[in-house]
Amino acid sequence: MTDGKTSSDSSGILEPRPGHKAIRVGADGSQWIEGFRCRICAAVLAELTMACRKCGGRDSLAPFRAAQTGKIFSWTVVHRSYPGIAVPFVSAIVDLDDGLALKGTLRDVDPGAVQSGMPVKLVFDDAGGACDSQGAPYAGFHFLPEGARA
Amino acid sequence: MSNAYIAGADMIRFGRYPDRTPFQLAAEAALLALDDAGLTIGDVQAVYAGSTFNSASMVAQKVLQLIGQTGAECVNVSNACAAGATAVRQAIMAVKSGEYDIVLAVGAEKNPRGLMGGPLTEGPPPEGLFGSVAPPSIFAEAGMVHASRYGTTIEQFAQVAVKNHHHATLNPKAAYRTETPLAEVLASEMIAWPLTKLMCSPNVDGAAAVIVVSEKKARELGLGRAVRIKGSALVSDPYEARSPEMFDPNSVTRLAVSRAYDMAGVGPEDLDLVELHDCFATAELLHYENLGLCAEGEAGRLIDSGDTALGGRIPVNVSGGLLAKGHPIGATGVANIVEIVMHLRGEAGARQVAGAKIGLAHVLGFANVSASAVHILEMA
Repeated sequence: MTDGKTSSDSSGILEPRPGHKAIRVGADGSQWIEGFRCRICAAVLAELTMACRKCGGRDSLAPFRAAQTGKIFSWTVVHRSYPGIAVPFVSAIVDLDDGLALKGTLRDVDPGAVQSGMPVKLVFDDAGGACDSQGAPYAGFHFLPEGARA
Repeated sequence: MSNAYIAGADMIRFGRYPDRTPFQLAAEAALLALDDAGLTIGDVQAVYAGSTFNSASMVAQKVLQLIGQTGAECVNVSNACAAGATAVRQAIMAVKSGEYDIVLAVGAEKNPRGLMGGPLTEGPPPEGLFGSVAPPSIFAEAGMVHASRYGTTIEQFAQVAVKNHHHATLNPKAAYRTETPLAEVLASEMIAWPLTKLMCSPNVDGAAAVIVVSEKKARELGLGRAVRIKGSALVSDPYEARSPEMFDPNSVTRLAVSRAYDMAGVGPEDLDLVELHDCFATAELLHYENLGLCAEGEAGRLIDSGDTALGGRIPVNVSGGLLAKGHPIGATGVANIVEIVMHLRGEAGARQVAGAKIGLAHVLGFANVSASAVHILEMA
């Protein structure tokens, strides 16, 4: 999926490419977050490393489909970013329910109401409309407060 | 193994030097430190130069090109914001190994302007799409963990900037020497909650240098102004469950300081002053606890008490810290050590910590992964 090739179906519509290291896109276009859990020490990682980052175990990392619900661990409201980036936005680190932690943007929320422990859900998006050089769209994700409409 | 001593230490004033190269800045600091030690470049057997943005240009050799090409061993180190302290650490190990008696460690930087660390990744630019990787955002998030757990307030974080800017008014080598009252800190541009602009260290240029010598050479030079390296530790970030999604400045600092305390045979209660890595105001409060200056969760109360201000129980960042002295990346780790040396010798002028005997210098370098260095110094 991250081999640089762009796939397309018979209609000529390009399948989305993952716009984040943890996103996977299935042959049917379905999207999920993949985490890795060490069979030896149970560490949970957001990327496949060459050996376990915690225990150094070799060939011990097993992929799993991550939960799409979780709780805010920490956050900030970003008012100054790099040139061209729209501000303000909420940057949040979320503990997904099965132990994977991911950083993402929390949308559709009053920044003053964000709290540690706040329940959120992960929803997939079009990565701001970004496309690769072949015109294939990217798949992204963001977080919404639990109960918000995607 | 031989003990290692600092026989000379100095720095240039931090600030903007648009017309000078980083090598010129480094060479000036090196000459100042040599003069302070009463030595010449001909006495120096090895040079360790720390720089982050200029290291690939062989800063150590460029220094010799400017002040004397003696053929001394030159090593150029890059370790993010810990580069300067890494150079000092390498100099100490070169002396302690017995290989050399006189080694120069210099840190220098001409910082890029603007917000550092824009992402270089394939695919859509992640900033804003997947949260923020800008340094203020990352240290804001680290601070908000403390705020969530212990109720630490934006005013308490802001008091760090008030204190360190006040300290800088007493330091002629600091880049920004004006008082910033609490209302001004809180009213300055919001960068990433709870960090306003005055709670973020400024990008300035600078250089600092120390001469590290063996015990034998220290005795030859006279121990009157020599400072002994009592503890020295440099570590990388140990595994943390959420890292690197959640940056953790704490465990790497705790690992470094525990090794330095063990080596020095002292604890936080023995320290007379601390220079710590206040790249952002949130970081200073986190490091109060990481360095053991107060109990867990007490950092907000410690800044409120005034105990970390000049004249308090354990003054922190009397140089003005990174927030007001400035943060030329590769120079910072050496400058923190220079500041401790000045106080132990009683040469710190208006900001002198009275009767200082033992001081600690800490830095933290990060670039998705991290490094932390801690040095504990004592009058010989």
